[in-house]
Amino acid sequence: MLAVDVKNIKKTFTSKQDTVEAVKDVSFQVEQGEIFGLLGPNGAGKSTTILMLTTLLSITKGSASILGIDVETQDKQVREKIGVALQDTGIDNLLTGKELFFTTCRLWGYNKSDSEKRTKELLELVGLTEAADRRVKTYSGGMKRRLDLGLSLVHSPEILFLDEPTTGLDPGSRRVLWDEIKRLRDTGVTVILTTQYLEEADELADRIAIIDEGLVVAEGTSDELKASIGGDVITFSFETEGDITKAQQLLTDSVQEKMELRITVEDGASKIPGYLKELTSAGIEVSSVAASKPTLDDVFLEVTGYRLEGADDAVEETPASTRGRGR
Amino acid sequence: MESNRSFLTQLQILTKRLLLRVIRRPLAELPNIFISAFFLFVYDGALGGVFGGSAQGTPFDFANGNFVNFILPVSIVSASVSGGASGIYLVEDIESGVFKRYQSMPISKWAIILAPMLVGALRVLLQAGLIMVIGKIIGADPAVGAVGYFMVLSIAFLWGMGFAGYSVAAGVRSGSSQGAQAASFLFFPALFLAPTFVPREALRGWLATASAYNPTTYVIESMRAIMVDGWITDVISKGYIAAGSFAAITLTFAVISAGKATEKA
Repeated sequence: MLAVDVKNIKKTFTSKQDTVEAVKDVSFQVEQGEIFGLLGPNGAGKSTTILMLTTLLSITKGSASILGIDVETQDKQVREKIGVALQDTGIDNLLTGKELFFTTCRLWGYNKSDSEKRTKELLELVGLTEAADRRVKTYSGGMKRRLDLGLSLVHSPEILFLDEPTTGLDPGSRRVLWDEIKRLRDTGVTVILTTQYLEEADELADRIAIIDEGLVVAEGTSDELKASIGGDVITFSFETEGDITKAQQLLTDSVQEKMELRITVEDGASKIPGYLKELTSAGIEVSSVAASKPTLDDVFLEVTGYRLEGADDAVEETPASTRGRGR
Repeated sequence: MESNRSFLTQLQILTKRLLLRVIRRPLAELPNIFISAFFLFVYDGALGGVFGGSAQGTPFDFANGNFVNFILPVSIVSASVSGGASGIYLVEDIESGVFKRYQSMPISKWAIILAPMLVGALRVLLQAGLIMVIGKIIGADPAVGAVGYFMVLSIAFLWGMGFAGYSVAAGVRSGSSQGAQAASFLFFPALFLAPTFVPREALRGWLATASAYNPTTYVIESMRAIMVDGWITDVISKGYIAAGSFAAITLTFAVISAGKATEKA
């Protein structure tokens, strides 16, 4: 049985002023025990998709099921199967970590002694035993995220939804959380996470769906997505604006990023000498050149026409690409 | 795992959580207690000598010689406005996302909405009870006997729940804790367009007319009957009816508003 089965779901928000299609058409399937990543920029529809799947928003059109249970018509049964840690789910800052775990355990139906036992287990699991008796308002951002994750695990859910679990965390805290998510996957928990970090999707997700403007624009494993581009990426660096402008006229399929031009070709290493000869013949000075396998960043650029991270930085338009959007 | 808790158990757990929040912010409780006690001491100090002493035997002896009995209902009504905190608790949970966390669990939405109202009710009982203890210490003595304390407290409870309902409705409709705090702004005109310092017969002109339409009037008169005059059942029952109706109307409004505001979009 599929852990998650999403078929052409759509979400439209209607107000007196206007109508917004937050999710236009999203479909995907998630097998039990895998980490599935929804990758996309802010406003792409990732969080809205998660809110629909976790029964917190209604689905305008289409259908979705969790372990075969319909999300729209059997929301209470769905909630019993899932754990949820959303971007904007709050944590009561005036309570201690221990009190929060205990209260959540009690709400999930544990009796007092089992709640105490489970609280202890979860505090250890997320590494908060030392801070258990401190009020949450004294916790760091990383500690709060671990607490949030722990609270979503109280009832040992089969499926865990994590909405941008590491946004705003420092690299160390992010790594700790990644390890914990992988460990959960290894124990059989299915994890659906949203992220706007390419590295996170690459590192964590067994499969990735790239979502943009409410649509799934690509789906597959990280390797499959990279292979879909075909060939290698050659990156040329230049010292002057004049050189880069002239080079763009020769390398018409290139994408500019700051003082670099990137081009995707088959067997990149063998083609570098030819490109260099062409550029130097035109009087263009190339400061460095390198060939590499495509990254998820390149995949994102290919399928959406703009970069996900650093989209505010200059990504100049070439005939092969559209302008990067600052999101 | 299935959440097998009954509605009442969920309500109890969520209420306990909010009570912990109240305990962790003791300073938030002080202003209302202070103002209520301030009314009691200042009015008794300023007017008690006249209406509780030298006016005896004159037509102005409406306090029957004990001005604390006469003015205590004003302080009790003031303390009962603390029920207005209910809306703040609920809106804080909505604003912080705690409400959404609970919504993602298989627990009753109504337990999440009613818990802050229940805490508001407990807060009313605590604050009004405290003012009553202070009143007793400085000389209050209900004309109907000791049962009068419980009667006054029960009217205060209903009145406070009215403010609780009002603040919850205002909070969820405005979507902000400032909106919920609007309950306290309603309180001052409600208190002073009433026979606060003298009986209604002594009011004149527009204030006499306004006080006749103000439910606070009947709440205060009811408490005064209990404290000053004794078993005047029609006056006492009007207080229960006014406070009970206020609570029923605003709590219904609150439940409808909160239900709508938390529906799935």
